[in-house]
Amino acid sequence: MPGSNKWRRRDSGPVVRPYAVTGGRTEPADGEMLDLLAVVVATGLLASTGSGRRGGDETAKLTPEHRRILKLCENQATVADIAADTALPVGVVRVLLADLTAQGAITVVRERPAGQRTGNDVLQEILNGLRAL
Amino acid sequence: MASVRSDIPPPFAAHKILIAGGFGSGKTTLVGAISEVRPLRTEERLTSASIDYDDVSGVDGKTTTTVALDFGRITFGSQVVLYLFGLPGQERFSFMWDELSYGALGVVILADVRKLDDCFPSVNYFEKRRLPFVVAINCFDNAPRYDPDEVRIALDLDPGVPLILCDARDVGSVKQVLITLVEAIAARRSGRRGSGRTSVTPGM
Repeated sequence: MPGSNKWRRRDSGPVVRPYAVTGGRTEPADGEMLDLLAVVVATGLLASTGSGRRGGDETAKLTPEHRRILKLCENQATVADIAADTALPVGVVRVLLADLTAQGAITVVRERPAGQRTGNDVLQEILNGLRAL
Repeated sequence: MASVRSDIPPPFAAHKILIAGGFGSGKTTLVGAISEVRPLRTEERLTSASIDYDDVSGVDGKTTTTVALDFGRITFGSQVVLYLFGLPGQERFSFMWDELSYGALGVVILADVRKLDDCFPSVNYFEKRRLPFVVAINCFDNAPRYDPDEVRIALDLDPGVPLILCDARDVGSVKQVLITLVEAIAARRSGRRGSGRTSVTPGM
C-alpha cells in the first residue's frame, strides 16, 4: 500500500501526547532540571510491584509510567537510559522522576558527569576499556 | 527522608562523548557500529528558526516538536559507562548543543569530504566552547580521497586537533576514533599540546 509508512514511523513513539502522562505538567515539581546523565536509583521505599516497605497503598497511586520508571531504577540508571528504555521524551521523564523523588521512592546518587574535571586515572580506564573492545 | 536503602552501591561514573557533524555524515552509523543505538526523544520548543522546516499547519498552538537523538552506551566493568550522543546536525537545532555539551568529555566531528562545509558550524562551535574534539573523515565508498593534510588546511584546524580517516560502519575504525579523542583529551590535560598524535600511553 503506497504511503502507508507515512502515517506513523516505527520510532515516532506513542500516539498519546507526550505530556498526557504527566497530567499536562511540563516542569518537574521541585523545579530542578536533572542532568541527562544524573544517576538515580530506587530507595526500596516503594516497589514497582507493590511490595515495598510502605506496602501497596502508596504504590497503587502511581501511574503505570511511574511504575515502569521505578522498575528501571532498581538498578542505577541515568535519566537518558530511562528515557531511551521507556521511549518517553526526556522532559516527561524528568517530571516523573521528580514525583518519585518527592515520594522518597528514588534518590539521585550522582548529579552530573565529571566532564572536564574527569581525572587522568578515569581517562586511562576508558582508554583501556576501548582498546579491549 | 524516612528511610533510605543503606546498601546502595557507589554510583557508577557516566561519561559523555558527543558525535557531531552535518546531516548525513554518518553519525547514526558510527554510534551503531560500537554500541547499541536507540533514539532518545526530547521535546523542544519550536522557534521561529524552525518554522520553515517543521510543518505545523493545521495544528495551531503547537509549540514543541520532537527531536530524536542517537544515543549509545558502552559499559566498561561495573563502574564506568561511556555514553555517546549524536547531535542533531541541522543548524536549526543548534540551540540544543549547549545543553548536550554541558559535562561532555569531548567531541567527534564527522566530516564528509564531498560536503566539507557542513562540519564548519561544529568546528567553530566546539573551538569557541573549548571542548576537546577530533575530526574524523568518514570515507564513504564513492567519495573522492583527499590527503588529510589538505582537509586540515581546508578546515583551518588548530595543529593540536587530531584529524583521522575512518569508516563509520567499522567497529575497529570507530574504536580508533574514540581512542584518538580520549588520548587527545589526556594529552591536552597534561599540557602536552602540539602534534595531535601525542599519546598518553603507548598503544597496546
